[in-house]
Amino acid sequence: MDRLQTAITALHEADAESGRRKSRSRLTPVARLIVCIGFLGVTVSFDKYNIAGLLSMSLYLIVTGIWEEISLWKGFSRLKYIFAVLLLLGIANIFYDRNVIMFLGGIPITGGMLSFVTLFLKGAFAVYGAYFLLLTVGIDRLCMALRKLKVPRMMVTVLLLTYRYLIVLLKEAQRMMQAYELRSFRHRGIHIRAWGDFPGLLLLRSMDRALQIYDSMLLRGYDGEFLYEMTERKAGWTISVLYMAGWLALFALLRSVPVFALVGKLFL
Amino acid sequence: MHMADALITPAVAGGMYACSGAAMCYSVKKIKGLEEPEKIPVMGVMGAFVFAAQMINFTIPGTGSSGHLCGGVLMSAVLGPEAGFLTMIGVLLVQCLLFADGGLLALGANIWNMAFYGCFIGGLLIWKCTMKRGMSRKKVIAASFVGCILTLQLGAFSVVLETMISGVTQLPPGIFLAAMQPIHLAIGLVEGGITAAVLLFLYEMRPELLWGYNGRTAMEKAGGSGEREQTAYRKKAARLSAWQTVGVLAVSALVIGGLLSQAASAYPDGLEWSIERTTGREEISASGDIYEAAADVQEAAALFPDYGFRESGSAVGTSFSGVIGGITVIGLCVICCYALRFFRKRR
Amino acid sequence: MSEIRVEQLSYAYDGNREVLSDVSFSVEPSETIGLIGANGAGKSTLLKILVGLLGKYRGQAEMGGLPVEKKHLRQIRAKTGYVFQDSESQLFLSTVYEDVAFGPRNYGYDEEEVDRRVMAALEQVHIGYLKDRQIYRMSGGQKKLAAIATVLSLTPEIILLDEPSIALDPRNRKNLIQIIGEMEGTKIIASHDLDMILDTCERTILLAGGKIIREGRTEDILTDEALLTANGLELPLSLGKRN
Repeated sequence: MDRLQTAITALHEADAESGRRKSRSRLTPVARLIVCIGFLGVTVSFDKYNIAGLLSMSLYLIVTGIWEEISLWKGFSRLKYIFAVLLLLGIANIFYDRNVIMFLGGIPITGGMLSFVTLFLKGAFAVYGAYFLLLTVGIDRLCMALRKLKVPRMMVTVLLLTYRYLIVLLKEAQRMMQAYELRSFRHRGIHIRAWGDFPGLLLLRSMDRALQIYDSMLLRGYDGEFLYEMTERKAGWTISVLYMAGWLALFALLRSVPVFALVGKLFL
Repeated sequence: MHMADALITPAVAGGMYACSGAAMCYSVKKIKGLEEPEKIPVMGVMGAFVFAAQMINFTIPGTGSSGHLCGGVLMSAVLGPEAGFLTMIGVLLVQCLLFADGGLLALGANIWNMAFYGCFIGGLLIWKCTMKRGMSRKKVIAASFVGCILTLQLGAFSVVLETMISGVTQLPPGIFLAAMQPIHLAIGLVEGGITAAVLLFLYEMRPELLWGYNGRTAMEKAGGSGEREQTAYRKKAARLSAWQTVGVLAVSALVIGGLLSQAASAYPDGLEWSIERTTGREEISASGDIYEAAADVQEAAALFPDYGFRESGSAVGTSFSGVIGGITVIGLCVICCYALRFFRKRR
Repeated sequence: MSEIRVEQLSYAYDGNREVLSDVSFSVEPSETIGLIGANGAGKSTLLKILVGLLGKYRGQAEMGGLPVEKKHLRQIRAKTGYVFQDSESQLFLSTVYEDVAFGPRNYGYDEEEVDRRVMAALEQVHIGYLKDRQIYRMSGGQKKLAAIATVLSLTPEIILLDEPSIALDPRNRKNLIQIIGEMEGTKIIASHDLDMILDTCERTILLAGGKIIREGRTEDILTDEALLTANGLELPLSLGKRN
């Protein structure tokens, strides 16, 4: 019940946010997707001891966050999923990598500590990067971008349909779950006796629905080739190319030059 | 099982994207060849179904905790491996975006670790081979358990392998594996239990929906004469009681589990042995050599040359100016952004 | 010549459970007829046979002069619109515009024509303002109208509506009745919402247990309390009050 509700809420929220921005933004989803991938790629490519370089990548998140008016706190809850795993792997680094790399105010800092921090930073940055993509583009327009990037039409169609029926089936599952809970003493999930029947019934219903959708497609002239245009209205190509080139150049710069340190030296 | 972006280098991510992409293109081609136009809406809706089913809590008897479905083996048993694979890609992408379950960059790896093994090993290999000479309740149960446990073991092993090649952790692979494999054995048991239960339900209600039933494709007979066969079947075969079913599940699970944990515990040695061979050294210390080997791979594959301070002792100097520079740059950026946003609103 | 002609039509699911037996009727061009009956009377089955969704049947069925057979299905479907009981299954793309455009694109119209048809269809059901709306963010009434628009975008000569007023609130229902009244073409409305049938159809067919029990003027059938009760229906509310 909880998980279902969480999923429904997350879906609604993401959709409302991306819907709100969709009308305003003139950037094509392709540009945003490429910049996001570039950001993720450069972020995880940093050396495991290079905290300063990694931190400089936060510029993208900060600028996008402020400009798009995204609350960083809202995205914070998304981090908990990955932090458990990262904590485990990161702590191992502290134990196994004890080479002292530098002293900070007399305290020895080992390689393990540094790589522990970079692991967390990378994890958090990547989660935010994907989160921003979801909020600024939305899943449906992302599918459109994938189509433009030559992902096979069948795959994109499956994605679009999955996304379209996500909320329908989540709500159906929730109704079934509520009905189940009202009639059972146990309130913690599905009893083993119903392990098959409960999801099985949902599956049969989904299958029936799928065949009905197929009927509806047939009646409107479907003959195996799923046609949709996903027309993009008032997309600004110039601004999209500039956006893309600008960010990618900046990422390359941040990756190859210690920008923060250089700027700092100006003051010293 | 979902890998985060932080665990992977761009080279590994790209490689896994290429592998998964190839499998996807193969599947698309294969399905196009089948000429079953209803497959597409069915895949789409099934993707949404898997997603919803993943959100259901299944009570694990005697533990008070609950397990969840992942769905790869289930989907390939219903849709066939190729269609199941495409469906699972959709599910993984939505999961990644909506819940940060697995990173966007690591998506290729996640597709491989979960969808590919689940559908092509669990579905194509195990399900198909088991059902070659007709279906039965026992075979459905066996295929579900073997399929789920085996594919999860493979997936867990791949996660370790990909993490190690990426070189983000100094955790020795032996320990990492020793932690991952048994955990995923338990997860596999639950997954196998749910999958078996759902497939048994389908086998009784609408057997024609299962892939490879009587050698026919799943959809050919959907909504067809299933009902009659179903009543005939009901008369013939007495239903196993719920407890008998649990018993069968438990015993087969234990046997398979035992066998696989043996195999899993043998893995670390195998890996160390192979590294020993490749590096030509006799002794493998916990963190040293394997990590260096991995780092070399990473270095060679990195996008840009490194300016990191692995050897440099002057880290302190750079770090101090780095802090000042960082504060300056970020501060300037924040001010500029707010100013621009202010003007945008005024406009 | 009649637009829809059905002669001694019988249909059985699974080859043995007969849901329609010996059904015969015809519908003239531009006529609107009501198909009433209790749950499970065979209304939806009949409509689905007419557009070739159910496959083999016994007897004859003709749509617009063409027998309902596999080789004519594309032509028949091109001039027939079918509004499903469940709009959720009819609208499968993410936005209203894309969904309404699906049909015209499949029939090979160029984008300009597609756009014209989509906008015309949306205006016809007064939801032009919803064109970029995500479908799952719409109410049941809006979804129903969008589902009708998907059908209208192909300018059908025949429109089949399966329980169009189900799960609509009174205002949406009223709105729907008005829109059905405005639509051109031959229409069959299958429903057990007898008040709506009374408002929209001149002629009515009463179906029970897969057989046609009565066929005639809507008012005659819907005022016959004994007949309706015997077949699992009740007098329309508006008539009940009058008496």
